[in-house]
Amino acid sequence: MKRSGPLLTLLAGLLLALCMLTLNATTGTRAAPYAQGDAAAPAPASSGPPAGEPPGPSPSKTSAGTSSASPSPDVPPDADYAGRTDDGSSAVAVSLREGRAVAYFCDGRDREAWLKGEAGEDGGLALTGERGAELTGTLTGRHVRGDVRVGGRTYAFTADRAVEPSGLYRATATVRGAEYDGGWIVLPDGRQVGVLGRDGERSAAPRIDPEAGAVTVDGRRLAVRPVTP
Amino acid sequence: MTVDPNAATQGVPSPEPAAGGGGAARYLVPALVAAAVAVALGAYGKVHAPAGTAFNLAGFSSTGAVKSWLATAAFALALVQVVSALMVYGRLPGPGRAPALHRWSGRLAFLVAVPVAVHCLYALGYRSSEPRALWHSLLGCVFFGAFSAKMLLLRSERLPGPLLPLVGGLVFAVLTVVWLTSALWFFRTFGVTV
Repeated sequence: MKRSGPLLTLLAGLLLALCMLTLNATTGTRAAPYAQGDAAAPAPASSGPPAGEPPGPSPSKTSAGTSSASPSPDVPPDADYAGRTDDGSSAVAVSLREGRAVAYFCDGRDREAWLKGEAGEDGGLALTGERGAELTGTLTGRHVRGDVRVGGRTYAFTADRAVEPSGLYRATATVRGAEYDGGWIVLPDGRQVGVLGRDGERSAAPRIDPEAGAVTVDGRRLAVRPVTP
Repeated sequence: MTVDPNAATQGVPSPEPAAGGGGAARYLVPALVAAAVAVALGAYGKVHAPAGTAFNLAGFSSTGAVKSWLATAAFALALVQVVSALMVYGRLPGPGRAPALHRWSGRLAFLVAVPVAVHCLYALGYRSSEPRALWHSLLGCVFFGAFSAKMLLLRSERLPGPLLPLVGGLVFAVLTVVWLTSALWFFRTFGVTV
């Protein structure tokens, strides 16, 4: 007589896998941690620098998309993407929510740009930012491939699907009259590329702790939030 | 674009015992099932658009942490597997319950590894963009294939002596690399977080 134990083991595993898949499929992405973006989304706009300040990026732009752009069922799925430019000098992250997109480009030293726009049904992205920054890209299931134009230079980039804790993060705060505005891209390999602006003066940003949602800047702990459109 | 997540798993042939247990079928069936399982998992990971995320367990900061700890538990149980197998084969002194220990620690390790694999395939998919992801994706699929083969081989009697230890060793080696390229990487990159 043959042993049935091993077969039962395999079947139990298969059953468990099917149960979990069903749970995942029925729960959907709505229950995902990033779906808390309702709370996180307005945050970047909360303490941005005044509009008249030339060097500071304008986070308030990210909140402009509150108009009732009703999400069509055909828009690309909500997701985050992060990757490097082809020349390896800089990083690019794109976050998609209900057809709206926000992107961030930074070189980890002094060059950065926030961009926003819409994602087309065909997966096409055309985003714009301050001072003529532009991003065009195409979304396929697992990555965004495109070009970003910042400061007169064009960089080709590929951004892979990023899953927490990798992705796009931002910290804005006013500490003793000084305006801090930092952007970070946590790449899928765990590396970080970030630029921190102090009153519009940009420099390399310290590492953030994406799990804790915090960064220590000049001895002070600032809150870091995932960025969503 | 989105594939019914249950569809691909139907492609996994339910492990049928070798009819009659005839000579070559004893080896052919496990080998074919192993290949089918590995390829089906890989194909599902490649075709299914990664959902990005799936449900999390309460008490953990991220799904990455949950998976890393589950994977670490599976790896620890796999170490128990090696030791208890040496006992079963008399290479190490062990209690008479060594076979039961081997069976149940193996079952537990497998059942602990399944949710991790489901999350990997459902939320992340098969990735080859970097060497670590490539090896992890590839060997993750191979692991479940090899494990299926090991389970099916157990049903045959009078196998050539070294075959089971060889396949078992392969399963363990593959799991080790899968763990090194995921959980260890996670702990080293993001810290040993809960």
